[in-house]
Amino acid sequence: MMERTVTIVPEAGLHARPASKLVETANEFESEVQIAADGEDPVDAQSMLGVSSLGAEHGEEVRLIADGPDAEAALDALERVLSTPEDEYDE
Amino acid sequence: MSERTLEGVGVTPLSGVGSVVWYDQEVELSAPPAPEDVDADTERDRFSNALGTAREELQAERDRTAEEVGEDEAEIFDAHLQFLDDPQITGAVEDAIDEGLPAEHAIQEGFEGAIEQLEAAGGRMAERADDLRDIRDRLLRIATDAERLDLSELPEGTVLLAEMLTPSDTAQLDPDRVAGFATAKGGRTSHAAIFARSIGIPAVVGVGEDLLDIEADAEVVVDGEAGDVIVDPDEETRERAAASRDVEIRTDRVETADGESVEVAANIGTAAELEGAVAQGADAVGLFRTEFLFLDRETPPDEDEQLETYVEALDAFPEGRVVVRTLDIGGDKPIPYVEAEEEDNPFLGTRGIRRSLGPDSELFRTQLRALLRAGAEGDGDLAVMFPMVATVEEVDRSLEIVENVASELDEAEIDYAVPELGVMIETPAAVFMGEQLAERLDFFSIGTNDLTQYVMAASRQNEAVADLHNPRDPAVLRAIDRAVDAAHAGDAWIGMCGEMAGDPELTELLLGLGLDELSMSAVTIPDVKANVVETDTADAREFAERALASSTKDQVSQLLTDNT
Repeated sequence: MMERTVTIVPEAGLHARPASKLVETANEFESEVQIAADGEDPVDAQSMLGVSSLGAEHGEEVRLIADGPDAEAALDALERVLSTPEDEYDE
Repeated sequence: MSERTLEGVGVTPLSGVGSVVWYDQEVELSAPPAPEDVDADTERDRFSNALGTAREELQAERDRTAEEVGEDEAEIFDAHLQFLDDPQITGAVEDAIDEGLPAEHAIQEGFEGAIEQLEAAGGRMAERADDLRDIRDRLLRIATDAERLDLSELPEGTVLLAEMLTPSDTAQLDPDRVAGFATAKGGRTSHAAIFARSIGIPAVVGVGEDLLDIEADAEVVVDGEAGDVIVDPDEETRERAAASRDVEIRTDRVETADGESVEVAANIGTAAELEGAVAQGADAVGLFRTEFLFLDRETPPDEDEQLETYVEALDAFPEGRVVVRTLDIGGDKPIPYVEAEEEDNPFLGTRGIRRSLGPDSELFRTQLRALLRAGAEGDGDLAVMFPMVATVEEVDRSLEIVENVASELDEAEIDYAVPELGVMIETPAAVFMGEQLAERLDFFSIGTNDLTQYVMAASRQNEAVADLHNPRDPAVLRAIDRAVDAAHAGDAWIGMCGEMAGDPELTELLLGLGLDELSMSAVTIPDVKANVVETDTADAREFAERALASSTKDQVSQLLTDNT
């Protein structure tokens, strides 16, 4: 199991597009990926409901936890999503 | 029968008349059968089939929305598709099936927990609960084979009424068939309202429970400007509404009856409005307010972020012009990273160019760098104007900064192009100094809301003096006339980007005053273009002379009434 703490860069926080993008990316990996807001229990990062209910805002730190064969690659990819400003997403 | 008016919130300045079709998306479930009569495998298949159908529908609606409304709006459906695949929700539904519920009841129950979870989180998470209801209702409809009213195939002249419309519903409406819609719930910023504006459908939201009493097939007018739903309209109301809908969208540039070309442009506040402007037939953007780039954030946008937005606007009008107004903020619009003292009288205080040449000079330079680079990169022709100018010195200093920025870019070997440069005509001082300003600049654009406020010394926000704040007052018309003469004497072109420019009743008068360009909110463009082609310049000039000679605004209004 691997962990990493990342600061949310997109202005919108983990809502709308950044939330969609995060869930989409988390689902590209075989590993189980969870995400936790400061001091809260982790939620399933592959679940739109879980990510939407975090309500994490721009500038907040979140903890990413991945468990599985491609855990490191998953963490790298998710960190990239969280540290990219929304308007720089590739279509 | 006399007409009856219900009040709501208008979301598009358009009116339509038609007959009522009710849209009731709620599916009533009967009591579930006993658990032993339910075969879990069959129900799981039914659920999985419903998910598949829902996915196909959503994908089709997404594509349609991206094409007809815009990519930003289409992204609502991406979230819907993800909720549909959410293991937490699908898991809850499957658990309910395992406990002996048929698919539709299990969907009901499985979603309930998720909806409550989001609502409990509050704020923006709670808005997502509406998305979940939308998805649940879709699955229920599919699972129960409930008849779906095909919103894209409504009879022509339909006024759609509903308790609430979801984004998926609204995206299907065909503006050629639907005369308008009204909902009991919802506000100006609801998804339905935003969609209505982008596709140009007359719409009123938030009418309340009274709406539910209107019967199917009743004739109603939806007046999106006043925010009224009028049941059993009388002849006059109906004709007025019908006339406003029959306006052809002209995507080509228009000329007056005697062949004078007039540019009809759109005012926009965000890049998302570009598409709507093109769709309504705008020749250009006559006012691109840039405040949206700066508001609601903790740090200012950097040069590259701004560059991208300006280029996007220029690329949307490859054959036209885009007039960008530099940052226009004052004490009335606080921004976290901008230090602005609270002022007793912000509209007479440090705002517009006064801030750009003072405390916000760094923001101003960055914006100009981004604009000059955009001028070289974007397809259309860039023009840049400065707001709230009162003196020649302000213009000279601004032009000097533009020159500085240009030589900086030159030294750094970055591509740039110096755009057309102009000012907003908002202060009486700028009107009186028009000749000297025009010698230095390429163009003027009259901001009639502020010009009226400053000429009449009547605040835009004070109801008690609303009667004085009227751009038809001869004093305002004479200020416009003077500004036009000054511009033309100095070989500058002059446009108008205030609300007055979008009032179709005033088109002939404004052309008679000699304006070269009219810029307005996109939805009024078809009406104004229709009036331009009917105007004869000589007649218009004579009409303007009479209006200018009037003593009171009532006389001006009388002239306008007699003229129609």
